[in-house]
Amino acid sequence: MNIIKFELLKLRNKSRGWLGPILVFILIMVAFPLTVEISNKDLDQSFFAVLWIAVLLVMMLATEDIFLEDFNDGSLEQFAISDISFPYIISVKIFIYWLLIGVPISIIGSLFCLGFTNSGNLAINIFPILLITSYIFINVFSFGNALSLTKGSVLGTLVTLPLLLPLLIVLGKAVISINLNLNYLGFVALLLGVLSIIIFLIPLIISYIIRAHLE
Amino acid sequence: MQPKVKATNLSYKINEKKLFQNISFELMAGKAIHIQGDNGSGKTTLLKIICGLTNQVKGEIEKKLDKQICFLGHKNALKQYLTVEENLSLLNIINHPDLKQHLIEFGLDKSLDINLSSLSFGQQKKIALLRVFLNDSDLILLDEPCVGLDTQSQNYLCRFLNDELEHRKSILFSSHISLDINSEKLNLSDQV
Repeated sequence: MNIIKFELLKLRNKSRGWLGPILVFILIMVAFPLTVEISNKDLDQSFFAVLWIAVLLVMMLATEDIFLEDFNDGSLEQFAISDISFPYIISVKIFIYWLLIGVPISIIGSLFCLGFTNSGNLAINIFPILLITSYIFINVFSFGNALSLTKGSVLGTLVTLPLLLPLLIVLGKAVISINLNLNYLGFVALLLGVLSIIIFLIPLIISYIIRAHLE
Repeated sequence: MQPKVKATNLSYKINEKKLFQNISFELMAGKAIHIQGDNGSGKTTLLKIICGLTNQVKGEIEKKLDKQICFLGHKNALKQYLTVEENLSLLNIINHPDLKQHLIEFGLDKSLDINLSSLSFGQQKKIALLRVFLNDSDLILLDEPCVGLDTQSQNYLCRFLNDELEHRKSILFSSHISLDINSEKLNLSDQV
């Protein structure tokens, strides 16, 4: 099976899988200013906290059935015995999910940033951070989903959630740096470093976990 | 000539319950083995061990294969919300020159634009079998391939598998019913 064609065709026919998380993200970002009665300045301050939490929750939602359906219908069995490397198949699956959900959310998140902060510079700077962060989130939550593949997705994602708390701290510091016009590239480099490790390690671990589930 | 699959003293147990022990066999090119046994005797597990999805507790298994294994288990690896044509496209067999002939034999040539969920279990099994029919593998593993199939389709499957044996392919299949396939018998119920 051509894995890229497989995933794209699957997600094209199952728009709930990728459109749902994007709509939830938009809903959170639109609902946020409606629920608080504070000045524009305060809104600006709390925007980023809401942004990161929204990305986190939406990525958790997006990966809910990343493996479950393929596990139930036997597609994962076929992938596991195919000639193509299983970790490669997993990484492509995660990449396609990120492409269809993470990238649009990064673009929409930047647009909301522009709307809330009235700062084009901030919106441009936040875009690569959103791209990297969403990819890290989607990888980690995929790991969580693989862990609890036969026991419901919530359990696994809850277990992996604490792994992302240090990342949220880094994101907060990065936003402060951008706001104070300090050099924030160090934080981007740190995020890229984390991503470069995760991008290879997580699919490898997931492949072992799924093989254990298939036994 | 070297066997395609050589199993030596294979044993498997779940917790402390032994499914089978010390199973040995050789599967040569152009030969078939019919795995028999009661429910829970380990037929599916043995097939999964051979295709590498499960690890045996004891024993060795050697495979000398030039191509990918073709395995059809209890799960069909088909998407219920896609049409038959889209599923065949996912399986990469939509452009196979022999596809039309098999679809006609199975009575599915007019069902290409129908959602898989609208088809019966037997018809879905036939779609899954097309992957076996149009495979380019030298080892075919089938787990209860006749479940849900009508007599006509069972006969067609047997004719196809006998043809594949003549083309030097090796076949391992489990089935509760007796099939008209030139095969050796391996009874797991005798091996505990």
